[in-house]
Amino acid sequence: MLVGGHGESNPNTTWLQSRGLWISYAVGMLTLHLILLSIPLLSVAVAWTLTNIIHNTCHFIFLHILKGAPWIPQDQGDCRVLTHWEQIDYGQQFTVTRKFLTIVPIVLFFLTSFYTRYATGHFIVNFVSMMLVVLPKLPQFHRVRLFGINKY
Amino acid sequence: MANTIFTKQYSDNILYNALVPLYHVCLEVFLLLMVLWLIFHQSYNPNETGDLSKEELQALIDEWTPEELVSDVDQNHRALHPRVITSKAQKYISIDNNKCLNLATHNYLNFVGNEIIEKSAIDTIHKYGVGSCGPRGFYGTVDVHLDLENKLAEFMEMEEAVVYSYGFSTIASAIPAYAKRSDVIFVDEKVNFAIQKGLDASRSRLKFFKHNDTNDLESLLLEQAELDKKNPKKANVTRRFLIVEGIYMNTGEICPLPALIELRKKYKLRIFVDESVSFGTLGVTGRGVTEYFDVPKQDVDMIMCSMEWALGTIGGFCVGSSFIVEHQRLSGLGYCFSASLPPLLTVAASKALDIMTKDITIFSDLKDCCELMHSALETINGLKTKSHKHSPVKHLVLSDECVFTIPREEVLYEISNYCIQHGIAVIVPSYLEKVEKFTPTTSIRLTVNNKLSSEEIKQACTVLQEACNALMSH
Repeated sequence: MLVGGHGESNPNTTWLQSRGLWISYAVGMLTLHLILLSIPLLSVAVAWTLTNIIHNTCHFIFLHILKGAPWIPQDQGDCRVLTHWEQIDYGQQFTVTRKFLTIVPIVLFFLTSFYTRYATGHFIVNFVSMMLVVLPKLPQFHRVRLFGINKY
Repeated sequence: MANTIFTKQYSDNILYNALVPLYHVCLEVFLLLMVLWLIFHQSYNPNETGDLSKEELQALIDEWTPEELVSDVDQNHRALHPRVITSKAQKYISIDNNKCLNLATHNYLNFVGNEIIEKSAIDTIHKYGVGSCGPRGFYGTVDVHLDLENKLAEFMEMEEAVVYSYGFSTIASAIPAYAKRSDVIFVDEKVNFAIQKGLDASRSRLKFFKHNDTNDLESLLLEQAELDKKNPKKANVTRRFLIVEGIYMNTGEICPLPALIELRKKYKLRIFVDESVSFGTLGVTGRGVTEYFDVPKQDVDMIMCSMEWALGTIGGFCVGSSFIVEHQRLSGLGYCFSASLPPLLTVAASKALDIMTKDITIFSDLKDCCELMHSALETINGLKTKSHKHSPVKHLVLSDECVFTIPREEVLYEISNYCIQHGIAVIVPSYLEKVEKFTPTTSIRLTVNNKLSSEEIKQACTVLQEACNALMSH
């Protein structure tokens, strides 16, 4: 696919700024959570932990593992070495989009902890999954590949 | 039932809140602080280096010497004295009112000035008008474009062809459509300017090997293979390209294609050949350097070619397998973002291709002329050529042992002036010296066409010899 018409050589940089994205995001998560809650066998605690894990897995895969863009960007392979997170806002740090996406997993962690009644098992799983998506979002980890994982 | 459990569990939470473990309280406070830190942190760009200090700024200002908008130009500068051409650039040409035999422009098969082609182009204007009014993907595709693409693919015995509207941008767009930032391109150091611009646009790593020197190329390839072995993960995502010309515009030499194909197989390269000069000139049926060396066309990944030399029209094309060539319809910048080739020029190319298919004697005539010219040029005292005997482009440089009455760098220009005054048009090609990667040596570039008679060739060489004699100190 050749993208064009909006002046961006790579729409990955800006599509997360789109109007109404935050509300769609919240509605999407709520829907996911309600679906999980409606499954009879799952307790409330498990439903929350699952919401958290599914949300964080999506973040991890789509923002921090997959590199490049799903279309043909006119940038001579510039974004081929960058994850989606690193492409957002052309690498500008602490932009509104980035702040939103970093705070969401933290808030989700608070909620999950509350509804799992601070059970240790749930805490460990939720805490680890939160750290896995919050740490790579910090500016200190911009373009850093720990131990060369996912480098090429 | 489920509903009661739901409400029960949720109402119990109020009791449990009193039992939050201490470590969790600490963690939540820490995370809350982090959220506040995030919210109030100023945005910045890590790619930008910080502001310069005052001293650094002053140093930069002191270093800078403004350049004049228009500097003093030597009034004898060649660019201030252009030659005026008052006829078609066909076999004979009128330069500054001298009627000359045209050995200066590229018209190998005499299609410039061919009446059948001219008539078909004029007829096309009556049908389609002068322009196509848009890029190929945007209302600019006319049936004649598709016809020409089919004909070219058929002529070159490849799966698919893609036609561009300008020869230079064909080559400069095709290369960066495939080669990207993390790729490696092995390329001959004498390649023409269009290829150089394509290389620049690709942003790839460039490895130049000595002109037509396969040993030098192989040593570079071995070096790369060593690197790849050390870092196989990186090697997996690095593509290796080899870019050469069939006949080099800047030297008139033919690339050693069979040896290059061997290396391509051995080191898994993707080879692109620029056939701008060799198309329509090499091979029994004019199909270029692959036919000349009898190399299967499938061994070459892509052939890029300008239609401005042998075909005598404007534009260019790339041929290869559909899998490769199709990619350019969305990624070739010159294809996507330029208006398509005007139908009249497309039809002219089609017509020329028809002539090339029907009458293959033009290629043997051209070959004979090239050989005749080559042997005649070798007898000239004072000039020598390294160009191939089958190349229609001949580069002449001064013999090392000869001594001239004027500075050596002026001699070739004087020879060219003398020849034009005496009815033979030959030129010294200009290069953008500061922009070229390796500026070619100054030379006289002489082109051969298929309609030269042996008398004309003899006459041309006699005039060249006279010019040399007039400038040589005996």
